[in-house]
Formats: sequence, C-alpha cells, structure tokens
Amino acid sequence: MNEEIKILVIDDEAVMRDGCQRILTKEGCEVVTADNGEAGLAAIQENPQGFEVVLLDLKMPGMSGMEVMEAVKCVNPSLLIVVITGYATVDSAVEAMKKGAYDFIPKPFTPDQLRLVVSRALEKKKLELEAQRLKAEAARSLRDVATEKSKVRTIMHCMADGVLVTDREGRVVLTNPAASRMLEIGTNAILESPLEEVAKDTKLIEAVRGVLEPENSDVSSISQELQIGNSLIRAHTAAVKSEEGETLGTVTVLEDMTYLLELDRMKGDFVAMVSHELRSPISAIEQNINLILQGLTGELSDKQRHLLSRAKERSRGLLELINDLLEISKIDAGMAMQRKEPLQVEEVVKGVVELMEEEARAKGVALRITINGPIKPVLGDRDNLEGVFNNLVNNAIKYTPADGEVRVEVETDGDYIKTVVVDTGIGIPKGDLPRIFDKFYRVKSEKTRGIVGTGLGLSIVKSIVEAHLGSISVESEEGKGTTFTVVLPRLTR
Amino acid sequence: MAKILIVDDDPDLVEAVSIILESKGYEVSAAYGGIEGLEKAKTENPDLIVLDVMMPDKDGYVVCKELKEDPKYQSIPILLLTAVVSKISTTRYTQQMGMETEADDYVDKPVEPEELVRRIETLLSK
Repeated sequence: MNEEIKILVIDDEAVMRDGCQRILTKEGCEVVTADNGEAGLAAIQENPQGFEVVLLDLKMPGMSGMEVMEAVKCVNPSLLIVVITGYATVDSAVEAMKKGAYDFIPKPFTPDQLRLVVSRALEKKKLELEAQRLKAEAARSLRDVATEKSKVRTIMHCMADGVLVTDREGRVVLTNPAASRMLEIGTNAILESPLEEVAKDTKLIEAVRGVLEPENSDVSSISQELQIGNSLIRAHTAAVKSEEGETLGTVTVLEDMTYLLELDRMKGDFVAMVSHELRSPISAIEQNINLILQGLTGELSDKQRHLLSRAKERSRGLLELINDLLEISKIDAGMAMQRKEPLQVEEVVKGVVELMEEEARAKGVALRITINGPIKPVLGDRDNLEGVFNNLVNNAIKYTPADGEVRVEVETDGDYIKTVVVDTGIGIPKGDLPRIFDKFYRVKSEKTRGIVGTGLGLSIVKSIVEAHLGSISVESEEGKGTTFTVVLPRLTR
Repeated sequence: MAKILIVDDDPDLVEAVSIILESKGYEVSAAYGGIEGLEKAKTENPDLIVLDVMMPDKDGYVVCKELKEDPKYQSIPILLLTAVVSKISTTRYTQQMGMETEADDYVDKPVEPEELVRRIETLLSK
C-alpha cells in the first residue's frame, strides 16, 4: 500500500481505533481516527477529498454510522466507505451497502481481513481513477480529432488546387471548392454519391475506376489533362492504400492549367513580337552600313572603314542573338517537332556537312563524314534536325584551330541512331561541361575570345533533340578536342 | 536600263536598296506596302520586283501569289527579301522558299550590295 493513502477510522471503541491504526499504519497508510460520528463527519467535511477510504462503525452513540454515511454521500459521493458491523448480520450490511457503502467487515476481524478489505477498496479506487483518466483521454482525443478535421477542412478550402476523394466503391467522400469549380459540379448533396453522378468528365471517371480495379493494383497514379469547358485541367489520380496494400479509395488532385497556358502563350507572343520589332531596325542599320562600306555613298578613309566594319560585326551579333531568341520562343511554343516525317539521319547530316565544307576549307580544318552500315529511319522534323547538326558541326569547326580535324559519324545502335561529331579543337574545361547546354552559357577564356556566339545554340540543340525523344551528351578534354553524341530513337511501327 | 520596283514597308530599307540599284544605273520605283506594291506592279509594269516578305497590310507571299496567278504579270521576275528566321536552320529557307512560294529567287535581309546586284542581273538575263 501507498503511504499517501489516508484512511479515516470512525469508531467509538478505542480498541478498534487503535487496532485499525496500528495495522494500517504498518501498511504504510496514514490513519486518522474519530471517536464518534459527528467528529468523523466534521473531518470529512473539512477536507472532502482528504481520504481515500473511511472505516465506519455502524453502531455508535450519538450519530449512527448510517447517518454519517448519508451525510458523507452529500459531501463526497465517491468516497469509499467500508462499514464495520458488530452484529455481523447480513441485514445491516445489506442495508449499508444499499445506502452506498462499498464493502463491509464484521467484528471481530483479524488484521489480514482488515488489510484485505482496505486493499480491495483501494484497488477499486485505483480502477476508478484509471477509468476517469481514460475517459478524459478519450474526450481529449475526440477533441483532437475534431480539431484535426477542422484543420484539414480549412486547408482543403484554402487550396487553389482541387481535391476529390472517393471511397473504394467510387463514391465521392470529400471535395473542396476548387474541385467543384474546376469540375463544374455543385457543392450541394454530392457527398456519398457515385462519381458518375457528380462529375461528367469521362476521362476522370475512367481514371478513378481504373485505379480502383484490383488488376491495376500496381498502378500508383494516373496523370492526365482534362478539357472541361474552356479550362484545361491537369488531374493526378492516385489510389489510397492501407498498410496491407489494400485499395481503400482514390485521391485526385486537380490543377488548373488554363491560366498558365495563357501566360505561356503570351510570353511566346511577346518574345516573338519583340524579336520582330528588334530585327527590322537592326536589319536596316546593317543594310545601310553595307552600302557605305561598299563605297556607294563616297570614298571611305581606312579609319572610317575599320569603325564601320566593327559596327557591322556588332549589329550582326545582335541579329544572331535575336534570331536565337526567336528560335527558343518557337521551341517553347512546342514547334520543335511540328512537321514529323520519316527521315534518314545520315542524309540530313550529309547535307549539313556539304554546306559546311566551304567554311572548313577556308579555316584549314579537315571535315570528314563516315556512315557505318545501313541506317534505319527516324521520325523527325527535317528543318530542326538540320539545325541541330548544323549547329554542332559549325561549332566544331569554329572551335578547331587550323590543321585540325572534324569527324562526323552516323551509325545504328540498337533501337537508336547515333550521330557523333568529334573535333580536335580546344576542348571544354571539365567544370564547364555540365552547363554548356544551359541557355546563355558560354565558356569564356583566352582561346574563345575571338569566337562570336550567343550562348543559345546548344540549349536550342538540346531542346530539339529532346523534343524528338532523343538525348545529347558531350565528352571533352581541354586541348585535345570535344565529342558530341546525339542519339535519336529509330522509327518503329 | 531595266526598271525595278522595290516593295518594303521599311523606308530605310527601300532607300538602301534604291541607292544600290541606282548606282548600277537601274531605274527604281518604290512602294511602301503590299497593297501599294501590287498596284504599282500592275500600273508601272516593272522589269523586276524586289519584294519584302513581312509587311503589315499584305505580306510578300500573298503579293507574289497574286501576281504569279495573273497571266498579265506572271512573267515579271520576283526577288523575295526575307529576314532569316533563324541561324540554326538557315538551310530550311532554301527549301521552304522554293517549295512554298513561286518567287524566282530570294535573298536574306540585310544583303551585301554585290550579292543583291548579282542576283538581279541573273534574274534579268533569263
């Protein structure tokens, strides 16, 4: 027993009081005694929660045990009262129990009997406390659940993205206002209805039903674009699984792309517009410089000729930059794969190499092309692929000093057509390699100073190759040369 | 000497081309838009037309098509002035222009004066 346990003994017989006190004190309890009913009641009234157990003699002069008990019930109904009865009659015990005593112990009793009765009472008290604690905890967690629910509801309501949750039967169990708006469904009375009655979009319904199909249990999510009214919605539908892997329902997150697409289109229009507006005046400037340089407006001094040549070079660079920007804006607008047709890559490459021969010769660079074996066709946009190889070969010549070599090889590599452009040029520093496909990235060094470029070429090349589902990679060693490898998937039927 | 009509909405470009052609002794007349160009082509009956592609009122392709479809004017050689849309696929123009327009030749803007004169001489000698 615990020393914090306080027990009140109310008995008119000093022997009983002393006996109880002696026995229970040994058990570690704190015992308070009262020699009559009034004194006992007063002690309880003074501190209603002060005692865990009251040992109460039923037959006392003055206030009887029964009267004390009734009075105690008013002060502290949960106080455990163990009745001591000298008569040992069942009647008085039953009556006491009826009035709310917890237990009784007949006189005379042995110390063991007393200990047993008290410990039983204390056990009961402990259980009561435990039950109370559990009840409080349950109430608290219920309150937490309610808070959590309201938190989730608030989050869902504030989200710009739509959320639609169904159970495993495909009934809608949760939606937010964004979802209602995007799917054009009313908010009223849709909960618990089958999805088919709520949403009209068949692609969405198919996705939800598809994810719920048991044979599709390996499908984790479906992403698709839905055209609803004038809006373009991107929808990600995923299964909700239990720990055992059982499908419990679905969650669909809806993203309104309309605004984004419009913005993208506007950006493209803007870039194209600005580029055109910039290009015309620069063309005119260069045209006029050409005239003057040609001597059509009178003789020029050497100094004037030199300055005008520089001006022409600069305006030419500007024009190239604008052209590249236009190209980029076209690729952003999804025009990199506009005209798809079956193509022979080696023929495209051959055409490009022929065009570049003059330039290579002028620079004293040997330009060679090797085509290894039969080449399968690819599906591609001829103009854009031409641009890719044009750029790579042109770069290779640009960055290769006189007496160097540029080699172009085309071969079939499994399901891919591999084109390699190898040069013996100045190479690219290791640190710059990962960034050379970035927009506006140019390697700046003593060796590249005399080379004109906009820094957009390779990023355009990469965009076009990727639009063809291909890939481009680069290897290089400074001072030794650079190898670009373009891999394009071959046409399969 | 041959009479050449220059059609371009950019007056600076018209002037530049005029200077080049006049220096070679050509008689030059100018129009500053597609509609005006089409009219002058019909009224002045030039020996050759230098025609800009991008013009706001009526673009060069349309002007070219209308002239080439008219038996009265289809024999007038047309040299299209194009702006290079992209460096990366300069070559596409060689093919596209040939395929998509009925112009007799084309030249990128800005053009080297000698190149322009050479093209015009070639077209006129045909």
